[in-house]
Amino acid sequence: MTAIETRGLTKRYGSETALEDLDLTVESGEVFGFLGPNGAGKTTTIDLLLDFIRPTEGSATVLGYDTQEEADAVRDRVGILPDGFDLWERSSGYRHLEFALDSKGVDGDPDALLDRVNLDRADAERPVGDYSKGMCQRLAMAMALAGEPELLILDEPSSGLDPHGIRTMQELIREAAARGTTVFFSSHILGQVSAVCDRVGILEAGELVTVDTIAGLRETAGVGSRLVVDVDDLPRATAIDLEPIDGVVDADTEGDHLRVAYTDPAAKARVLHRIVESGTNVCDFDVVEPTLDDLFAAFTGSDGSTRPVDTAGELEPTRAPDGPEPVISDGSGDPQITGQASDIAANGEGVDR
Amino acid sequence: MSAPLIARKDFEDAVRSRMIWAVMAVFVFLMVVISAGAATNGLEDAEATEIISLVANVGGQLMIPILALLVGYMAIVGERQSGSLRVLFGLSHNRWDVFIGKLASRLGVIIIATVVACLVALGMVVALFDSFPAQELVAFSLLTVLLGMVFTSIAVAVSAMASSRMQAMAGAIGSYVVFTLVWHPMSAVIHYLVEGGLPGYNAPEWYFFLLRLNPLAAYTQVASELADQFIWGIVGWEGTVEDVPEETLQEPNALLLSERVSGDLPLYLHDWVAVPILLLWIAIPLGIGYWRFKRADLN
Repeated sequence: MTAIETRGLTKRYGSETALEDLDLTVESGEVFGFLGPNGAGKTTTIDLLLDFIRPTEGSATVLGYDTQEEADAVRDRVGILPDGFDLWERSSGYRHLEFALDSKGVDGDPDALLDRVNLDRADAERPVGDYSKGMCQRLAMAMALAGEPELLILDEPSSGLDPHGIRTMQELIREAAARGTTVFFSSHILGQVSAVCDRVGILEAGELVTVDTIAGLRETAGVGSRLVVDVDDLPRATAIDLEPIDGVVDADTEGDHLRVAYTDPAAKARVLHRIVESGTNVCDFDVVEPTLDDLFAAFTGSDGSTRPVDTAGELEPTRAPDGPEPVISDGSGDPQITGQASDIAANGEGVDR
Repeated sequence: MSAPLIARKDFEDAVRSRMIWAVMAVFVFLMVVISAGAATNGLEDAEATEIISLVANVGGQLMIPILALLVGYMAIVGERQSGSLRVLFGLSHNRWDVFIGKLASRLGVIIIATVVACLVALGMVVALFDSFPAQELVAFSLLTVLLGMVFTSIAVAVSAMASSRMQAMAGAIGSYVVFTLVWHPMSAVIHYLVEGGLPGYNAPEWYFFLLRLNPLAAYTQVASELADQFIWGIVGWEGTVEDVPEETLQEPNALLLSERVSGDLPLYLHDWVAVPILLLWIAIPLGIGYWRFKRADLN
């Protein structure tokens, strides 16, 4: 069974095209990432699926129901976390959950929902007007989960969340997927999509560029992650033959750093080990993830610089090629070596309840 | 049917709004002042129905429409702009539920406000006057509640059609401007085009009917008849766009509809006709508002 199917879905506003001829199929039970810069048409697609706006051409079904003819049936079975919303600031968190459960017509336990999103029960008694952006996001997620929807549609679910909140959100998505819920979520940050998704669709300027698995994307696009190592003796380090190491595809110098491209995350440790073994001191190291820009450049054939500055500015910050300062891990990317331990810890503790 | 859920939730939020309470307090306070003023006007022969003209003037023509527009204009566009409409849709509600739920809640607020105001005025009559003309006062109260519902419906309809707060505000203010500043002069212009002159004291009956199609005019016309005393509109257009004798402006009771129309009033100028007119002013804007909301791209 397909969870989402769109055929030639097109939305135009006057002469402006927000979405062009989208053919997309999301299978039931999968976690599908919808990736693209802001303004690419992700929210337009979601709005079309929920009959918030009407297509200029084409049609779509959600869980087998036509999005226009059977919009009510769609909404009964879907949980939504929209992008950019206000809640009713004078009502308490509990009142919101009660309203959500009543609306979905189910007898649920608000506390269970609170626990799932890691929201404090004492906080749930306060009016939502006092909440931080992250708390609102969690509450809205709890509301979306009310009634165990068959499909969760999350629009930029990690906006406004701190690294811990992002990790909770990713856990929630994995947990929902484990229960058999289909998850469709949009993001403009590659790392967040790659962390949880089975498959990814890339949207740019209203057009679907490609649909593939994360690994498949990287392979096709030929952009891998890079390890940038700061060593005390560069010539000596350069002499080390790193390329035969399993998972490493390229080793080179970049400014006064060593740059190693790899496809297998485990290669990082092997590379560092090898450098240290050869008697060179590693002063610092850093992981550079391929950005959405890199992927777009690979798929669309543009070098990214032709794109409008304002769009590019919304993307995940691209590390300056010669900037040696470490990228702060926000928990969203393929974790750094140091980041990995905490990630595993977070997974181990488990938010599954 | 999830409209009752939305109505309840929206009403709770409205009740928690300090703004609504502040406006209500000012409103009730004014009612008390007006009623007290009517009673202690220094007029020996002050009649209880006099309170009708005062309440109709300040309350009916000014406070209630403005309060109703204020209560209603953000009802739907507010949720649309803040994105919480998406949350509502995600919780299985559809456009009809949202529209009806919001309308019911805001109507509830304004009905309570007008009923309280009328009860205060009635209480003042009991306290300050010897007589209690129950029939007129009750009819006037119902008419006032109906007027509040008209403006709430217009505001909610505007709110459903608007895609931004500014549009909704413009629509709400615009509707009030049309009824107070545009309608009467426009009617006079139509009269000029048809009859070749400004409407005189004994203008044709259709002209009065045209004026009465304006809900505010329907309200004041009937309130005038109930009070047996001419009630001026917010702007006294009779003195500018109509060609009526100077002395009638000094003695405005001569401007009562029943005085200006010679002989028996035609059926469509009977008092009760104001009720279907006001009801149409509820139904038609809501119909158009929902029709537009149903088709709109809500983003």
